[in-house]
Amino acid sequence: MNRALFRQTWRAQRLKLAVVSTALVVWGFLMPLIYARFGSQFRAIVESGIVPEQLAKFGGGDIFSLQGSIALGFIHPIAIILTSVFSVGFSAGAIAGERQRGTLEVALARPIARRTFYLTLLEAAFGFVGVTIAALLVGAAVGAAFAGVGGEFPFRHVPLLWLNGVLLFGAFTAVGLAASASFDRVAPALGVTLGFVVLMYFLDILGSLWPAAERLQAYSLFHYLKAKAILVGRAAPIDLAILATVIAAAVAWALVVFPRRDLAAPS
Amino acid sequence: MHAITTTGLTKHYGRGPFRLPLGRAPVPIRALESLDIAVREGEIFGFLGPNGAGKSTTIRLLLGFLHPSAGEGRVLGLDMVRDSVAIRRRVGYLPGGVALYDLMTGERLLDYFAELGGRPPVRRAELCDRLELSPATLRRRVRDYSRGMRQKVGIVQALQHDPELAILDEPTEGLDPLMQRAFYGILAALKAEGRTIFFSSHVLSEVERVCDRVAIIRRGRLVAVEEIAALLARHKRNVEMRLHGMPPRLDGVPGVSSVEATDGQLTCRVEGDMRPFLAAIAGAPIVDLTIEPAHLEEAFLEYYGEAEA
Repeated sequence: MNRALFRQTWRAQRLKLAVVSTALVVWGFLMPLIYARFGSQFRAIVESGIVPEQLAKFGGGDIFSLQGSIALGFIHPIAIILTSVFSVGFSAGAIAGERQRGTLEVALARPIARRTFYLTLLEAAFGFVGVTIAALLVGAAVGAAFAGVGGEFPFRHVPLLWLNGVLLFGAFTAVGLAASASFDRVAPALGVTLGFVVLMYFLDILGSLWPAAERLQAYSLFHYLKAKAILVGRAAPIDLAILATVIAAAVAWALVVFPRRDLAAPS
Repeated sequence: MHAITTTGLTKHYGRGPFRLPLGRAPVPIRALESLDIAVREGEIFGFLGPNGAGKSTTIRLLLGFLHPSAGEGRVLGLDMVRDSVAIRRRVGYLPGGVALYDLMTGERLLDYFAELGGRPPVRRAELCDRLELSPATLRRRVRDYSRGMRQKVGIVQALQHDPELAILDEPTEGLDPLMQRAFYGILAALKAEGRTIFFSSHVLSEVERVCDRVAIIRRGRLVAVEEIAALLARHKRNVEMRLHGMPPRLDGVPGVSSVEATDGQLTCRVEGDMRPFLAAIAGAPIVDLTIEPAHLEEAFLEYYGEAEA
């Protein structure tokens, strides 16, 4: 890792990180409140049969339990969009953006190996993802305490949920950085990464809402974010292993492609 | 001892060892063909050619941004492919049309590049002083800089760590004449301290002014490597004289060609040693005599003319 590059990357992203983290704290804060305020009413509605059961278990979460509401907060589009600021936006632009602006060659004129450059950005990006996921969980913990359901908050399972979240969004980050290391411009790198995340989300949601498409969920990385299962103490190590494998594959791609690429003069 | 040597250095785009399987296969471009140059330590070496001739490709190969299709190169005694990181530790580089981080202040930018390079910016104060980059200017964000100021910061970032070899791609681009002169002063100071400068340009006058030797490149091929002085000495000078009487006989005088005498005027071209020509015109009824000194521009065009032929 190159410390100067790492420090500068964090420095450059600090304001964005603060805004996104604050938004995620607020979002995480809301979910236990909704559970505490409306959980029993929603349960009654669902049990009455008015709402299809699939809709009540959107993305593996629900609002009938604290664990379910926290899980719903993770898989909700708002949380995904906020987290994607770094796992998609930052990662896709990290190298391709420097290439496009022409600053990559000034930076790489220093004694930094391309692999070191890439790994430093990867480390920084995982740091951003780690902070944003932690913000979501901190918000949930504060929200639970504020709503008077702090006693139900499963603190001992939170580190594993954090790890699961970091691995999921870390997988998107690794894919984004691999795309960024492969293209000279931000648009194709961003397109590939965003397309990947949207496809994953689509497969997961389709599988969860339509029983006939349930098998498709296995092809979605979102399927391996088992927030509720972890919070109720039923974590499956295979979920984490699958996400870690995707990260390893993306990192391996970037480590092979980036050093071997020709960096011609920016046009 | 040589600071840079290349042997058969070749770069064809579109046929690299690895290509993304995306889109159509690109048409191969022969950017550089079997380049052989040797830059001596302590000299200012000009690398001359029009846009697209292969100057930037050569520089990018030397710095490890591109992978050669064939041939090899050594920079400061190190292999340009295997020891790329070690080379960049000892080299300062100014890219053509340098891009900088717009949101940083000039000062922060220079600090950042110094940190990345891992060498203290021992020359920064001197360089900023020569290029009139005041502390107040450096406290402003780069996005507020003019093109000339960006170029000055680019020069400082390339040289602030006192590199053994400076590779400068079109370094005076965007500098006003006063700052160009200040920059030439910096080059002279570096040369006096034994530093090597590899200087790419298409501005012939500045190459003529600052370089010891020049390589001329065209369409990826080396056309010539010459001492500037030798290149100019070999080049033909234009001579024009007004006469008050019979013109001197210049037929068969060594180095004299294109003699034209009309109505009290004589023009000719003289190449190499001037003494036979001066001896031939001694005693002629000359009223006025103009000998136009050789310019690199003409030598350059002559070379290109020959290469074209």
